[in-house]
Amino acid sequence: MSELSLRKVVKAYGTNRVVHGVDLEVRSGEFVVFVGPSGCGKSTLLRMIAGLEEITSGEIVIGGTVVNELPPRSRDIAMVFQDYALYPHKSVFENMAFGLRLRKRPEHEINARVAEAAAVLQIEHLLQRKPRELSGGQRQRVAMGRAIVRQPKAFLFDEPLSNLDALLRAEMRVEIKKLHQKLGNTIVYVTHDQVEAMTLADRIVVLQAGNLIQVDTPDGIYNRPAAKFVAGFTGSPPMNFLAARVGEGGRTLHLAGGIDLPVPARRVAECARHAGREVTFGLRPEHIGVAAAAEPDVARVRGSVVLVEPLGSDTLGLVRLGDRTDAGEMTGRFSPDAALRPGQPIDVALALSRFHLFDDKTGVAIRGADW
Amino acid sequence: MNTTATNPSANKDLSERALGALLLAPAALLLAVIVVYPIATLFWTSLTSVDPNNPQAGAAFVGFDNYLRAFDDDRFWHSTWNTILYIVVTVPGALIVGLGLALLANQPFRVKWPVRLGLLLPWALPLVFAGLIFRWFFEYNTGVVNNWLVAAGIEPMQWLSTPTLAHWAISLTIIWKASSFMALMLLAGLQTIPKSLYEAAEVDGASKWQQFREITLPMLRPAIFVALIFRTITAVQTFDIPYAMTGGGPGDSTETLAMYIHKTTLDFLDFGYGSALAALMFVISMVATAGYLRYTRRSTSRSGED
Repeated sequence: MSELSLRKVVKAYGTNRVVHGVDLEVRSGEFVVFVGPSGCGKSTLLRMIAGLEEITSGEIVIGGTVVNELPPRSRDIAMVFQDYALYPHKSVFENMAFGLRLRKRPEHEINARVAEAAAVLQIEHLLQRKPRELSGGQRQRVAMGRAIVRQPKAFLFDEPLSNLDALLRAEMRVEIKKLHQKLGNTIVYVTHDQVEAMTLADRIVVLQAGNLIQVDTPDGIYNRPAAKFVAGFTGSPPMNFLAARVGEGGRTLHLAGGIDLPVPARRVAECARHAGREVTFGLRPEHIGVAAAAEPDVARVRGSVVLVEPLGSDTLGLVRLGDRTDAGEMTGRFSPDAALRPGQPIDVALALSRFHLFDDKTGVAIRGADW
Repeated sequence: MNTTATNPSANKDLSERALGALLLAPAALLLAVIVVYPIATLFWTSLTSVDPNNPQAGAAFVGFDNYLRAFDDDRFWHSTWNTILYIVVTVPGALIVGLGLALLANQPFRVKWPVRLGLLLPWALPLVFAGLIFRWFFEYNTGVVNNWLVAAGIEPMQWLSTPTLAHWAISLTIIWKASSFMALMLLAGLQTIPKSLYEAAEVDGASKWQQFREITLPMLRPAIFVALIFRTITAVQTFDIPYAMTGGGPGDSTETLAMYIHKTTLDFLDFGYGSALAALMFVISMVATAGYLRYTRRSTSRSGED
């Protein structure tokens, strides 16, 4: 059963529409992440679910009840804010107990629930402190604790990790995932960080300019992006793009710089439908490597190394394909053993079974019937 | 070698200290001239007296006679009592009205400037003008207040010539005048409260009233204290509005300590006694302020402990 449904949800400020009719079903216990750049409407959408923003049109259903007209307190949701929004004058205990006190729960129940949540989050020793005496990570835990004690139908997270430094963010990400596995709550989580989205989500909702671009599992988002925008948003570094034209019969792709790539047999039929069309060719860095022995479906292209970025585990190399002035460049993920040096000539291997094509105007993925 | 190595740093310390003193000197001198000197002169004057029968003899040192005289002076006690009445009525009055205005002005108005201007106007108006305007409002024959009373079928009242009513009229005027400054200070405090706290409370289930009690009031406490201290100090010095509205009358029933000091010094030219009264008023201000400061210090150290 779906815990949360959005039906044609629209948000407009005056005549300025910022969310354009979003439909979404979130299943009970599901971890859904809204991801997209600033201004894509992800936070607005979350705040509409919370009831902090009015819905211009459409319907939001939580646990079977249409909540459009209900205030936040009647929606049975809890929210974790970006700045944590802890009450500065209340102790950690009182911060967590506040929602229960307002609901007039008996004292022994409040004590038990706060103690339980504090144990889960390992903040029992902080209960008597004031928020200002806590570190960023501790405040983050208290903010989550305040949500947990309420035992709501759904948790809403609004960029909860963006105020933490990189190391702590990675740590809290793991904590949140563990917490979800342990408690099994329905979670809607907003972030602009694709790594958070990929690592946490059961399903990712990619938003751009107030539209749902793709709703899919992390695997689907990464390997079957519905649009160039999605492909360019996920992965680090993201997918490489080059202008290309589909050749006659769909057997060849003509890339910028005079590079012709043979289309693998199983994708010829798909490409043939777009013969002669200008497209955007996309290939992820991990599908670019040093050419070794001839392999099926791998194109060998002569190029040169432009830039080398060693990461330790692997080395990112920016490679120019061909030697013409209009040659395209792509970043590949190489083994550190390849010992790349700038200016060095290189034979790169492009794993053509994995390429993506996008409409060069709309950016929509051009897909074959096989996927 | 050792001594030459340590000496320069010692010299440097000394010269830095001298330079520091030199840099502070202008400010210290200015303070001495405009603060310390007048207060010292006032205190000295309060210890002297001029014989009205022989003014040519000049001021003679009389010790604490002027202070002893004040303690025996019914008019001193009466004007002090009036001042305390104004403090007790107008400080909480202006706080409540000011808080209401601040909360109102903090609402998300589409156009903010008329609201802000409305808040600023009473504050920008000189005190005497406010007094004169309200004196006219409370006037028996032509005043707007009696006009309303008559329209409502109530007997017109002698607002400014009945002691109790005059007290209320003056207090109302002071509250009207003072609450805008209160509101401005509290509005500044309100705007420092993060919006997300209200949203968190809203999600937690707090009603508007609970949000006010659980978030606004505690977060506003520092601003309220500063506003209260300011208002209390000004209330101790209450002068212009009763001066313009009743001149202290009827009789001396609405006379404040500041007005009595003014009369003693400028009408009766009794500088010694006037200075002693002023020094006593200074003490009242200090006591009131110290009370607030002690309370704030205690409450901040308490919240720091837990």
